Amino acid sequence: MDYLYDGTFEGLLTCIYYHYKKEEATGIYSIESYQQNILNRSEEVESDVEKAKTVSDAINKKISREAYEDVYYCFLSSVTNKENIILDFLVFAFKYGRNTMNFYSHDKVLPIKEVSLKVSREVHGFLGILRFSDIEGILFARFSPDHDLLILLVDHFADRYKYEKFIIFDEKRNKACVYSDNYWEVKENINFDNLEYSNDEKRIHSLWKQYFNDLAIKERININNQFQFVPGRYRKNMVEFK
Amino acid sequence: MDDNLFKKLRILSDAAKYDVSCVSSGVERKNNTVGGIGNASAAGICHTWSQDGRCISLLKILLTNDCIYDCSYCLNRVTNPTERATFTPDEVAELTIQFYRRNYIEGLFLSSAVEKSPDHTMENIYRVLELLRYKYNFWGYVHVKVIPGASPMLVQKTGMLADRMSVNIELPTKESLKILAPQKKIENIIKPMSLINNEITRTIEDKKYFNNTPRFVPGGQSTQMIIGATPDSDKTILSLSQNLYEKFNMKRVFFSAYIPVISSPNLPAISSMPPLLREHRLYQADWLMRFYYFHSEELFTEIEPNLDLEFDPKMMYALRNIHKFPIEINKASYEELLRIPGLGVTSAQRIIRERKNAELSYDSLKKMKTVLKRAKYFITVKGKYYGNVNLEPEAIRKELTQQEIQKQLSIYDML
Ligand code: SF4
Repeated sequence: MDYLYDGTFEGLLTCIYYHYKKEEATGIYSIESYQQNILNRSEEVESDVEKAKTVSDAINKKISREAYEDVYYCFLSSVTNKENIILDFLVFAFKYGRNTMNFYSHDKVLPIKEVSLKVSREVHGFLGILRFSDIEGILFARFSPDHDLLILLVDHFADRYKYEKFIIFDEKRNKACVYSDNYWEVKENINFDNLEYSNDEKRIHSLWKQYFNDLAIKERININNQFQFVPGRYRKNMVEFK
Repeated sequence: MDDNLFKKLRILSDAAKYDVSCVSSGVERKNNTVGGIGNASAAGICHTWSQDGRCISLLKILLTNDCIYDCSYCLNRVTNPTERATFTPDEVAELTIQFYRRNYIEGLFLSSAVEKSPDHTMENIYRVLELLRYKYNFWGYVHVKVIPGASPMLVQKTGMLADRMSVNIELPTKESLKILAPQKKIENIIKPMSLINNEITRTIEDKKYFNNTPRFVPGGQSTQMIIGATPDSDKTILSLSQNLYEKFNMKRVFFSAYIPVISSPNLPAISSMPPLLREHRLYQADWLMRFYYFHSEELFTEIEPNLDLEFDPKMMYALRNIHKFPIEINKASYEELLRIPGLGVTSAQRIIRERKNAELSYDSLKKMKTVLKRAKYFITVKGKYYGNVNLEPEAIRKELTQQEIQKQLSIYDML
């Protein structure tokens, strides 16, 4: 049976639930991207919080916290076929339980590890290269990550800027996280156009740019190296590269 | 902020940029004070990379470049006619906060020339910290330099507010120091290092009994040495580093390739190239000492007091000690695995972990993404040797050089 889910994490875990409790899954696909075929029957699965929780508890308890994180990170990735990477991994992992992570290079484990690593690398990268501007007292950051990792960034900044108000805006997916007073929420279908910087703000941008440009040691210029660390696609939202 | 600030920032970041350390790692701290801003992340965070490919993590500036000393290798020395500038402590604190709020930086790395006197300068460095911590309630990362010759009391109270302190050793030997930095006394460098180390140990001890004892420089101390301004050998440099790590619990010893900017009979000619590759090799060797259980002595022989510029130090070690190879992948201890060229910590750990499931084959090593290109000359797998030449230094050397040439060719092919 091909299970089709609504694109949410709960939906995906619900499919895993049915794989065990109802009928084995031949694959899991999002409803949007599913291509009907003659070989497999398919069924749309309705997200069920309870069932999803049963599965997530089982992953945490029977496999490991690390496995749960890998599953979640893989889910947030923009890798096509990520649902089946997760399915394959979980089927394997529920068999081997706590030992699973010793099979790093196994066909059913390596793919999820690689995807999860990709996502966590991008998260770590953005902790550094996300740029805020002060717009009327609110810190505003715009970015377009490869993977859907907005909510993985929030905790870090919510602690760092605990007494500030901030907005982190994923311009690729049109969603934003809005934080103030120890509380945050994600707003979907949102847009921020034509934001104006004050003169004070522009001044600080210029100070930073000047500092950034002066810092390079002429004798050691190595543009290739720099490109490896800050790929071009990230630069459009970084003050110092504008 | 007045417009003078652009000029000051230009002069004082320019003078600080040769300082290599930009590390912000090793301290984990949440933002726990009411109204506070900032925290510290143990993993360290790079915020951008400059055109020379270096990670920028901290706002790295001098408080002043107006120096009373006359170190021959330094552009700030009193006898060099250069433009001078001095930040007020307030300016530094304000700039740090404004950059930090926008996520440009993890914090501040404040260094300084010696203005008026060591104590005067150290006092101002302390002022910056006091402003940051108490006026702005800032709990991001701060690394400050200790000015040799400043009073112990000042060093002590500064260390209570900083995350890391460093006293620069500057040069590898006393003799070199005497020639190039005559006003810097070795005692004035060693004394604060030992004070910092003692304070760190003391506050860690105290913390066992009194929960709220603040830690003295929780990120530890580091130091920096100039490479290539003097004829000292790599062996001298690395045994000094080893000593510093052992005696003072240094977190890092940094090397900085001397960039010839000044002509002096005691220094390399202006036209000479900075020894960047040598600096790179020293860092690799330092890495082996810190994470791969190497001792500085092991890297050198009676006739070879320097590292090999052509090959990385682990490869060099293997070629100089070929009798210790090949190493059997399925039997070797963790420490032995780490001695295999091309094999890093991650691969070694993975090998240990996976060979518990089943004996490893050459193919399973490949699958683990272990880099075998260089390792294959130094290992056996289930007793079999996979190198395409005999286990002889000269033959392996030739093969490796060949590999390098081919790599370069294929890059040109792509262009
Ligand atoms: S004390 Fe420092 S700033 Fe002054 S001349 Fe010597 S190295 Fe340069």
